[in-house]
Amino acid sequence: MELSLDRLTKHYGSKIAVDQVNACLTPGVYGLLGANGAGKTTLMRMLCAIMESTSGEVLLDGKEVTSMGASYRDLLGYLPQDFGYYPNYTAEEFLHYIAALKGIPKGKARKKTKELLHTVGLDTVAKKKLKTFSGGMKQRIGIAQALLNNPKILILDEPTAGLDPKERVRFRNLLSDYADNKIVILSTHIVSDIEAIADEVFLMKKGRFIMHGSVPELTSKAEGKVWELTVPQKESRKWQEQAAVANLRHEEGQVILRIISDTKPAENAIPCEAVLEDLYLYYFGMEKENV
Amino acid sequence: MELVRLEHKKIWRRSSVKISVLLCFIYIVVFGTALSFQWFSFGSSDDHTSSFGNNFDGYSMIKESQKYSYRFGGALTDESLQQIVRNYQEKKAAGLDREADQTDWQTINSYLGMLYPELKEEELYQTMISYVNPEELTDFYGRREQAIEDFLEVSGQDGAEREYLLQMEARTEKPFSYEFVEGWSCLLGSMAADLGTVMALFLAIVLSSVFSGEWHENTTALLLTTKNGWGSIARAKIIAGLLFTVEFFLLLTLGMLLLQSFFLGWTGWDMPIQTIKLIAIAPLNMLQAELYEYGFAFFGAIGFAGVVLMISAAAKNNVLSLLLGLTAVYGPMMIVKYLPYNLQKALDLLPLVGSSTDIFRTNTFRIFGVYIWSPYLLITVPVLIGILCMPIAVSRWSRRIKK
Repeated sequence: MELSLDRLTKHYGSKIAVDQVNACLTPGVYGLLGANGAGKTTLMRMLCAIMESTSGEVLLDGKEVTSMGASYRDLLGYLPQDFGYYPNYTAEEFLHYIAALKGIPKGKARKKTKELLHTVGLDTVAKKKLKTFSGGMKQRIGIAQALLNNPKILILDEPTAGLDPKERVRFRNLLSDYADNKIVILSTHIVSDIEAIADEVFLMKKGRFIMHGSVPELTSKAEGKVWELTVPQKESRKWQEQAAVANLRHEEGQVILRIISDTKPAENAIPCEAVLEDLYLYYFGMEKENV
Repeated sequence: MELVRLEHKKIWRRSSVKISVLLCFIYIVVFGTALSFQWFSFGSSDDHTSSFGNNFDGYSMIKESQKYSYRFGGALTDESLQQIVRNYQEKKAAGLDREADQTDWQTINSYLGMLYPELKEEELYQTMISYVNPEELTDFYGRREQAIEDFLEVSGQDGAEREYLLQMEARTEKPFSYEFVEGWSCLLGSMAADLGTVMALFLAIVLSSVFSGEWHENTTALLLTTKNGWGSIARAKIIAGLLFTVEFFLLLTLGMLLLQSFFLGWTGWDMPIQTIKLIAIAPLNMLQAELYEYGFAFFGAIGFAGVVLMISAAAKNNVLSLLLGLTAVYGPMMIVKYLPYNLQKALDLLPLVGSSTDIFRTNTFRIFGVYIWSPYLLITVPVLIGILCMPIAVSRWSRRIKK
């Protein structure tokens, strides 16, 4: 199975949301990283065939996905960014409804619903109405609905938004178990999620993929650009204003700053090992987010 | 089918739907039927100043009135009319007001006003039935025929149209069978006749969000990525919307019919509708008229459901969809009287805009030179409009959702 993006472009009037994007995705977990307005959601909607591209195409094994219609949607699981739900449905009813939309036979749908509610830790509240759910619980039901038809292509837009750390770990494990022989694409702002599970990461900026590769490949590009600098407390603010500070912590009356910089920011700065977040900040940290 | 079942469940799960159905049930069945029968339409009156001042004894008053009407032989002739009037005057003279209330005095008085205008004494404030000389009430059917002809002339209905209407009138059986009329008059002139108008309000509230609600809930992206896609969902929504309309109608009509059975029963079902309105020309009895009125409300509701679903599919906003849905029925009702007559008649063909009480009237439509009595079109055209709206709803929904 191969999902190809061929010069995929989307314009909203004069604004270019996605610009000549090319990629070839085979089974694996793909992470999409980018600031707000980078074009991730637009790209994902085109991948789901719910938005027409201005030019270019998405192909599944050589076939244009919008022309595949129901046969493509049958392979698809999608969690939209602003996941909508029916507040008066119970969790169980909601999954039954989505299962019916996905054309899953009633008996199978009931079995799968039960299984998924257990998987996402909502089996004890299966009969409760969705309007009583917390943000994290709603997000989990969203993840469950995306998995109902055991999709070969799973597209998750900000799946960990609203999940607490324990739920995020559960989600990562779930996805790792699930991803075998399937194409999983997820976008998130939470870099550590992608770092933990993505086989390949795409960095998206202004509608383009500016970089892609495995997490070690990408982090290696930030090697030599991450520094740790210990400064007195009174100098901390000055450093935060003049440098890209990824982290700071207070220790024995002093402040230890993690700085992203092409050059050694100060004499006493010591180089440290880069992580994906450093790379993200290297590319996006210093600019204002487009909302 | 599973999708239809779940869409249907989704409709019923909304609090606004449950509240709407309950309010409508209370208004139509409890207030408009049960309390109307027992209290403000048929309860005996002590002072006649307000219907709400009536006694809570409608059931016994109806039963006594029915028993009373049997005394006049079951047919409306000059003799039975004279007997009824005489009997009423005797009761009044004896100060038996409650017994006089049990007569069909309102209906009979309307006969007298229409057929014997020369007997009316303008300076008297009493009702005609209380002072006319019963002996002068003769030639009932001859006078009725003259009244119809005069009415047609005044209405400008002549030539082929007049012939068409008179032929229809000729099929009514005479003498009219006669029992207690006022129960049926209230049922056909008000209770069943208003059903559609009230249903429209609540149908608009419920159905206006069937499609547009998906935008409100922000679920369109989710729906579009499922195997069944927009087409199956749209069809399921339309079927679920129609199913709800049928259930809603059945809930109200079954409630009304049960109460009718209890309070009024079915006695007098074969009386002609002319006993309610003398110059009606349709050869229909009470039961046929009742079936027509319920049919009118049912087909009108189905037609209106189609219109509201189409609006809902075209709008992305629940409030806009509701306002347009309400405008589709109450808008024409509000402006109709300011429009030319032909346009008024055309607007009557919109779902639930016209009135089922046209069965008592002589309105016609002229289509390709052929006269058609208005109730035939008023019951068929609205449902056809609704059916026509359904594929448009599917197409609008698909266009909207893909943008």
